[in-house]
Amino acid sequence: MTMTFETYRDVIEDREYPTVREWRDRTGGKVIGCFPVYAPVEVPYALGMLPIGLFGGGNRIEIANADSRFQSFICSIVKSTLELGFIGKLDVLDGLMFHSICDPARNLASVMGRNFPQRPAVFVHLPQNFQSPQAPQYMAGELRRVAQELSAIAGRPVRDADLAAAIAAYDRVRELQRQLYALRSSSPERISTSELYTLSRLATLMDPKEVAPIFEAALAGAIKRTERPKDRIRVVLAGSFCEQPPLELIESLEQAGCYIVDDDFLLGWRSQRHPVKTDGDPFLALAEAYVNDSHHLSPKHDLRKPRAQGLIETARANRADAVIFLGAKFCEPGLFDYALYRKALEASSIPHLMLEFEEKMWLYDRIRSEVETFVESMLFAEAKAS
Amino acid sequence: MTPATTATPTKKAAADTKAAAPAIKYQGTVHELQKQLMNKYYADLTSIAEGGAGRSAQLLIAGNPVEVLRAFDMIPVFPEINALQLAVRKNSLPLIQKAEELGYSTDNCAYVKADIGMWENGGKTPFATIPKPDVLVCNYVGCNVYLNWFEHLAEKVGSPAVNIDIPFMRTKDGEPAEGDVEYVVAQLKELVTLLEKVTGTPFDEDKFVKIVERSSRVGELWSQIRDLTKKRPTPYDAYFDSVTMMAPLYCLRGTEEAVDFFEKALEEMTAKADRAEAAIPGGEKFRIVIEGPPPWPFLRVFRDMFSRWGAVAVASTYATVGGIWEFGFRHDPAHPFESVAKHMIEANLCNRSMLQRYDQIWRYATEWNADALVIHSVKSCRLFSAGQGDMREHFVHDRDLPTLLIESDLEDPRYFSQAQLRNRIDAFFEALEQRRITGGKAA
Amino acid sequence: MSNGSGRYSAGVDVGSTQTKAVILDENGKIVARALTDTGAYLVRAAERAYEQALQAAGVHREQVGYVIGTGYGRFNVAFGDAQVTEIGCHAKGAWSIFPNTRTVIDIGGQDTKAIAVSDRGEVLDFAMNDKCAAGSGRFLTNSAEACGMDVSQMGEKSLTAKNPVRLSTVCTVFVESDILSYMAQGKKIDDILAGVHSAIASRTVALVRRVGAKDEVTFTGGVSRNVGMRRAIEEKLGLSLNASGDSHYTGAIGAAVFALERMQAAPAAVA
Repeated sequence: MTMTFETYRDVIEDREYPTVREWRDRTGGKVIGCFPVYAPVEVPYALGMLPIGLFGGGNRIEIANADSRFQSFICSIVKSTLELGFIGKLDVLDGLMFHSICDPARNLASVMGRNFPQRPAVFVHLPQNFQSPQAPQYMAGELRRVAQELSAIAGRPVRDADLAAAIAAYDRVRELQRQLYALRSSSPERISTSELYTLSRLATLMDPKEVAPIFEAALAGAIKRTERPKDRIRVVLAGSFCEQPPLELIESLEQAGCYIVDDDFLLGWRSQRHPVKTDGDPFLALAEAYVNDSHHLSPKHDLRKPRAQGLIETARANRADAVIFLGAKFCEPGLFDYALYRKALEASSIPHLMLEFEEKMWLYDRIRSEVETFVESMLFAEAKAS
Repeated sequence: MTPATTATPTKKAAADTKAAAPAIKYQGTVHELQKQLMNKYYADLTSIAEGGAGRSAQLLIAGNPVEVLRAFDMIPVFPEINALQLAVRKNSLPLIQKAEELGYSTDNCAYVKADIGMWENGGKTPFATIPKPDVLVCNYVGCNVYLNWFEHLAEKVGSPAVNIDIPFMRTKDGEPAEGDVEYVVAQLKELVTLLEKVTGTPFDEDKFVKIVERSSRVGELWSQIRDLTKKRPTPYDAYFDSVTMMAPLYCLRGTEEAVDFFEKALEEMTAKADRAEAAIPGGEKFRIVIEGPPPWPFLRVFRDMFSRWGAVAVASTYATVGGIWEFGFRHDPAHPFESVAKHMIEANLCNRSMLQRYDQIWRYATEWNADALVIHSVKSCRLFSAGQGDMREHFVHDRDLPTLLIESDLEDPRYFSQAQLRNRIDAFFEALEQRRITGGKAA
Repeated sequence: MSNGSGRYSAGVDVGSTQTKAVILDENGKIVARALTDTGAYLVRAAERAYEQALQAAGVHREQVGYVIGTGYGRFNVAFGDAQVTEIGCHAKGAWSIFPNTRTVIDIGGQDTKAIAVSDRGEVLDFAMNDKCAAGSGRFLTNSAEACGMDVSQMGEKSLTAKNPVRLSTVCTVFVESDILSYMAQGKKIDDILAGVHSAIASRTVALVRRVGAKDEVTFTGGVSRNVGMRRAIEEKLGLSLNASGDSHYTGAIGAAVFALERMQAAPAAVA
């Protein structure tokens, strides 16, 4: 397992997108880049295209051109994604998919469209009125509209049967992912967060049918592991739903004494809590899953239930000792959520730590020592109490 | 009062007296009338807050559906207008800081922070006490922060809250997608049901139609006022003077007072135009389009920086956040719900894509005969600012329109660096003036 | 105004740290330069620099026909006839020193500018760092301090780097912690300094691209004397930079050239 992980790691860090190029060469199919947080990936997949996750430039590219388009107070992922376009790294894509996560991401769709007119940017409007009984039907209609736009790129119409098959393919991956997450929560010594993250990230760069066996093998391998649990605190991580921290930073958190038992990394790619119902209209099924059965995604403003309640429930369900809010610098939705979380966590007496990261960061000393101090204080308090 | 803080290098230059422009008088009858109307509006709100009769609803500026609320005699309250009033009176900073103590980030929109700070103070402001709203109607029209804002307000003030989901202008042909209007109409009708419950009053369709009719009339008058700035010289500044007219346009649209106000405004501006009277005493030298919201805490200082050069705005995108009427949109009493829905979806700046905004600016530049574009990039409002570098790039390189990009904030005085702004504005008009003298013969 | 109808013109550049004055004769030849620390009293600094320049030139005030003030403190040049921003003056000054200049780069303490210049030395377009002073001269000063060395030597030192580090920030506040991390990792000072220069060069080149990098490019302002900075920008830009020994006088020179042009264009208005 460890050996293959090195390869996976290289794959997810590589902005030449080797797995995607390989898929393209092998199948002759087209590729759609999906900007976070949520994308209806089943739709392009049903059209024979490969939807892939566009998670910025990481810490290996230098932003030389995009700085002139987006100001210094705009988050890194918006700029680095545009930069990837300027330096030709997105040439592997035939189209893009965006939705309104936040205002910079929304405007990025336009800026991308203007600078790279040859690569259509499809904009998905996800519903925000969850009290309205209209929401699922509206969203199903929107997904059909998106399917039509994507059909133009694919050169063929979408069929309900293909969409149902696509849902099944992604459901299989998501089911395995749910099992991996459950395993990590029950026995975090069996699979590390950096491993789980690597797998999840890999799943955004491959055909789901090829991902499933990798996940199956990883799950089987992890179950067999016999590591002794370390003296670490159990932590739920929140805030990294869009821009992604460098893998080394995730490792630093673990090394600093945290078992991360739940997180919101790449959450939009696994937002459904249960398998999607595939009998009946598959567009409506996808919409129902998003509206009524998805995790508390930051850009989803569901007034039916206070946002922070979801986090508290997650922390309790995972028997977390603490919550670490790992927010991307300049990420306005995340920073807004933090203000709600902080209040609720304090009210529920759940200790928390607020950390800020940037995908392009390179040095982790400062963050690591903060986490170590936090962990030490908690372990010390625990020792004193027992 | 908290003194405004500015970056260190500005202090020296800000202190010099020679730089201060002589007091310029901008005020006209419209300004006085607006003050009276807004004083009454805020007095009514204070009365409700103090237990008097009446109801209020909070909603947001972008594509605001005040007509539906007015049909239930609810006074529409806009947190953006409260926040900007706080900023203009230099009260915003301590409130922003209060919100930051509660966990809001320096990178969060300062309008929201000032509002949260205001609620921490029980809604008390120097100009009014803002009542706890009977309902929070988040008209999600483009701005994503709106959703966060009302989510936070719902927790903070505890009023019933609803999001009205407005599909973004996202299709290739630049029109609403099929079904968008119907979807919004259905939500508006759900809102009506909610408001019936909240107010205990049945919906009066005839009353609603009358209100929509008055909105239609206001839209017509406002559109004619917007057209007057095509004249040379423009009779008023389409940025700095437009903001005076924007408060009645949103707070009072649908009422007789609003119709009366805009009739008088049109009359005054038309008379000025007929006399060929310029917007500023020194006369009009440069016609500019301004993009982005103003720096409310330093509005006057900022305006003077342009007036010194005889630079007058003939059009501004900011004046269209609540609605774009100058290109023909009108509320329609024959189709009241549909027209409110269309206003929210397509007839306002906020729900239109960035590229549609480029087109809007270009129409202003050409049809209103502007010499240049000034982009005021505010950190708080990323709906406006994110990507304005690309906008600058487009106008300079693709359209050959001289463009200046400057930065500060709409609410947080800490982001206003007077010397830096002035330096850039001076350099820009210096170059424009130079080019005029040399007749554009430069390379 | 105290200025006479003489044949000389002058430019006074009141910057945030230093104030410079330059006097030109009727042929545009520099006859004197003066430099003084700005200090807290801008009006006096302007007066002091001007007086020093007059003395160095052996010229009386009455012999100076027109004076232009520039820089942040341009309105404090109490004896001046007019003010021009330093953006205009840097363009004009760079053009007067290197007449083929089409692009000017100026890195100052708080501001970095890129200016597109016409064949007459007029500003066609300019771009400056945004509100945040990231990547300006201040960043260099802070970095030098963090490395425990003098800012005047850091450029030279950076040239011996073999494995330049990559900074994770161009923030003037956080750069210190980055540098300390690297020092704790045992990285060499020259490698760290090369990283510092490269970070600023990237920011600067991004600005230059905004106005379009047209040859020839002239580097002005105090930082242009830093050889490490010059090399780093040249490398990223792929063009060589003009840099004059008078580079830190560019603004004052430009102001004096403007003064001369105005004096010669409309002598009646001056008299």
